[in-house]
Amino acid sequence: MAAKLLDIKGVSKSFGAHRVLDAVDFSIAPGEIVGLLGPNGSGKSTALNVISGFLPADGGSIRLADADITNASPQRATAHGLVRTFQLPSMPHKMTVREVLQAGASSKAGLGSIFSAFRFDEELETLLEAFRLTHVADLPAAALSGGQNKLLSVATALRSKPKLLCLDEPTAGVHPNLRADMVTILKRYRDAGVAIRVVEHDMLFIRDLCSRCVVLDRGEIIADCAPHELEDNPRVVEAYLGKAVEKGKTAL
Amino acid sequence: MFDFFIHVASIACLYGVLALSLNLQAGFTGLVNFGLIALFGCGTYGAALASGMGWHPLAGLPAGLAMAALLALFYARLGRKLSSDYWGIATLSIAEILRISITNEQALTGGAQGISGLPLLFADLKPYDGVPRLALYALVLVLAWFICQRIVKSAFGLAMKLMREEPQLARSLGYDLDAIRRTVMLISGAIAAFAGFLYAHYLTFVGPDQLMSPETFLIWSMVIIGGIGNNWGVVAGAIVMQFAMAYVPFVKDALDLPTDFVAAARLVIVGGGLLAFLLWRPKGLFPEKVGGSRGR
Repeated sequence: MAAKLLDIKGVSKSFGAHRVLDAVDFSIAPGEIVGLLGPNGSGKSTALNVISGFLPADGGSIRLADADITNASPQRATAHGLVRTFQLPSMPHKMTVREVLQAGASSKAGLGSIFSAFRFDEELETLLEAFRLTHVADLPAAALSGGQNKLLSVATALRSKPKLLCLDEPTAGVHPNLRADMVTILKRYRDAGVAIRVVEHDMLFIRDLCSRCVVLDRGEIIADCAPHELEDNPRVVEAYLGKAVEKGKTAL
Repeated sequence: MFDFFIHVASIACLYGVLALSLNLQAGFTGLVNFGLIALFGCGTYGAALASGMGWHPLAGLPAGLAMAALLALFYARLGRKLSSDYWGIATLSIAEILRISITNEQALTGGAQGISGLPLLFADLKPYDGVPRLALYALVLVLAWFICQRIVKSAFGLAMKLMREEPQLARSLGYDLDAIRRTVMLISGAIAAFAGFLYAHYLTFVGPDQLMSPETFLIWSMVIIGGIGNNWGVVAGAIVMQFAMAYVPFVKDALDLPTDFVAAARLVIVGGGLLAFLLWRPKGLFPEKVGGSRGR
């Protein structure tokens, strides 16, 4: 197996008496796309928040590219190459789409930047084009629809050149044609070495995109397998996929 | 009348610089600072310190800037722990604590009496000293405006706006919000202290009454009325407000009203103006432009 980019061991998190993550272990290799699945309340988003430094872990260790980022700040996690998006991204009212996308690449810009004009470069235009945002590029970012909002947040995260991109339900509200485009774009970044960890409920998207799936239920990992193996796992069927699989109605 | 106009215009320029300083914090970075006047006070007391100690008057400028830097860093440090609204209350409290401390301290600050007899700039050009002074203040205002414009249109300006509007998104992209807050506070603190230094050498007197909290709210009214997040707007707001305040006594005389009308009318202009704009034109006379960064 290739060297691990992200290595999580025994990570736990509780909110009061409610244990949301129970000694979770998993890893991601560079250039791997892993889906994180599970019913609502299974701990997917909490896992993402803990890994990205938005929530402290109660126990366990998180290593990213050989650096210990357990309970590191989001800024430190990002400095080691981890960039995340949010389930319900909110965008600024007084910045254009183009400016938000530019901001993805400017997190290191200090005061020295006042002496030189930054450039909206070709990569920015390519991302706008790929995510079909060129026609709205000069509108306030908050004026975008819910689906476009998701697209902009994924594009902005990609613009910051992550080693590990963590996406939280990136296709919710996005038009089906664009989901296919998103799969193509994300695979292109994977081929360039970016690892992706995606929380998603759309099984078609998961099947097209991911090489591996991790399924969480009540804070525990109940499966870690290829997407097409999920329906053969009775625990996954019971906890997440439901009886439709048994009747052969699933999209998988 | 001409001298009075020059006087009002001079003060308006200095308030314009203060409005730009507040706009950098509150307008572009979302730092709701109700204690701005204390940063201004660092400049005035820097000048007073130089005068009291018998130093060269110009030595008061680095002294004022150093005090402002310390206070700005302290404000910024508080921002790590406190959310925006609580930070605003904390800055107001600190500014008041400093003012009360100065009022009760005698040796360095002269207490409530303050320190007088500071040298007036261009005093040897009397009776024409007002014009070169106004020219200097106008030049400082233009310079401050230019610096602020460069900052908000740069990549760093994008970081400030992202922090103001979507701090969570900014953190997820790796922005160091503490560093942004610190940098903005240091620059705007230096701008406010510079205005304070010039103000002290204009009035030739420094006292704690210049640091009353209504002064902060006067600057806030200039920013809100002019257009928060627009550097042209806040300068216009400072000029409009300063002239409105200065010409109240003429209205009193014209209408033959009692003397206490002046103070009351000024309060109404600040409070009423703030309220009216917040209710009916919250973006101010010159609203912030979307998409103003210096790309391409």
